[in-house]
Amino acid sequence: MDFNIKNLWVLDIAGVEVWITETMMNTWIIMLLLTMLAVIVRVKLRTFKQVPTGFQNAIEAIIESFDNFVHNTVGDKFMYLGNWFFMVFTFVLISSLGGLFGLRPPTADWTTAFALALVTFGMIQVMGIIHRKGKYLKSFFEPYVIFFPLNFIGELARPISLSFRLFGNALAGVIFMSLIYGLIPIYLRFALPAALHFYFDLFSGVLQTYIFCVLSLTFISSASSAGAP
Amino acid sequence: MNVGTAFLLAAIPDGRVFGLDQQALISIGIQLFNAALLSAVLSYVLYKPVRKFLRNRTERINAQLGRAEGEMAKADELKLQYEQQLDNVEQERLEILEAAHRAAAEKGKQMLADAQSDAADTRARALTDIQAERERAQEEIRRQIIEVASMMAEKYVTQAMDAATQDRLFAETLAELEGAAWQE
Repeated sequence: MDFNIKNLWVLDIAGVEVWITETMMNTWIIMLLLTMLAVIVRVKLRTFKQVPTGFQNAIEAIIESFDNFVHNTVGDKFMYLGNWFFMVFTFVLISSLGGLFGLRPPTADWTTAFALALVTFGMIQVMGIIHRKGKYLKSFFEPYVIFFPLNFIGELARPISLSFRLFGNALAGVIFMSLIYGLIPIYLRFALPAALHFYFDLFSGVLQTYIFCVLSLTFISSASSAGAP
Repeated sequence: MNVGTAFLLAAIPDGRVFGLDQQALISIGIQLFNAALLSAVLSYVLYKPVRKFLRNRTERINAQLGRAEGEMAKADELKLQYEQQLDNVEQERLEILEAAHRAAAEKGKQMLADAQSDAADTRARALTDIQAERERAQEEIRRQIIEVASMMAEKYVTQAMDAATQDRLFAETLAELEGAAWQE
């Protein structure tokens, strides 16, 4: 049983050692899959009809559902954030579902989860300053100046909590499934883990994807309106 | 240090679950780049075009709905006009019927008056004829009486008339008079 993120290659780039990890490889595989899917949709889009059926119906349902999700979470004002969070949603979701095919989810590596959370953190600050300007910075000193350290640490904690929530859940699934596969006899490996895959890869994966996106959008939305941080 | 070159190193370190070091920062940077690249690809190849397609279709459907509502409003207006025209036709029908009734009543009155007038004329003519016939009959009677009287006078003159003769003559004359009256 090995829960570690394997290093596949080690590069020396300009004197700096760079580890090419299993996470990166799986990320590129998922990127490739999503890019292929996007290209197929883009090609088929030319033949999309007024009344959708089959594949067109599925694509329209996905995009419309995601649009409605963004709209219901942050409203019309931040619909343009959908471009980024559509990637986050599909990437995290496919990462979790990859576990069904023996692919270690990239989100089970903290660096991936933190990279995504870092973008959310950046968006929170940028949106707060753009929409509320000085009031956003002033809000770090409210209700009294003495609360600044608490507000500041609370703000810094957001990407950390976001990333560790996603990373912890994904890693728990990986560890648990590895333990199960290591402990049960080989003839049970085709039946018993299916239910656990359903929970850890499907249910928990979809749930964590949803939570990550909702929290990120809510943080951004609240930072750009009164009451933040 | 080899600036601008990359080497594949033979020694591969052991894997790990979590670490906070330079490799973690590099890994975060690479994953950030991957995420940005994937976001750009998905956004420009999939998300935006499909949203644009959906938006255009929604606008097209809304435009069609708008046109349909306009046509519906026009149809309602035409329907209203037709109904008004139908109401007018009914009104005209009633007016024509009323006029026909009035004309018929007038005609009836006129015909009745004419008939009454004709009847009065006929009656007047009949009365005139009766009067003329009466006068003619009276003239005829008077003439016959004169003739009888002349005959009686002639007989009286020609015969010596006694009382019995007078009675007989008188009875004969009377019988002639009664016969004349019966003939009339």
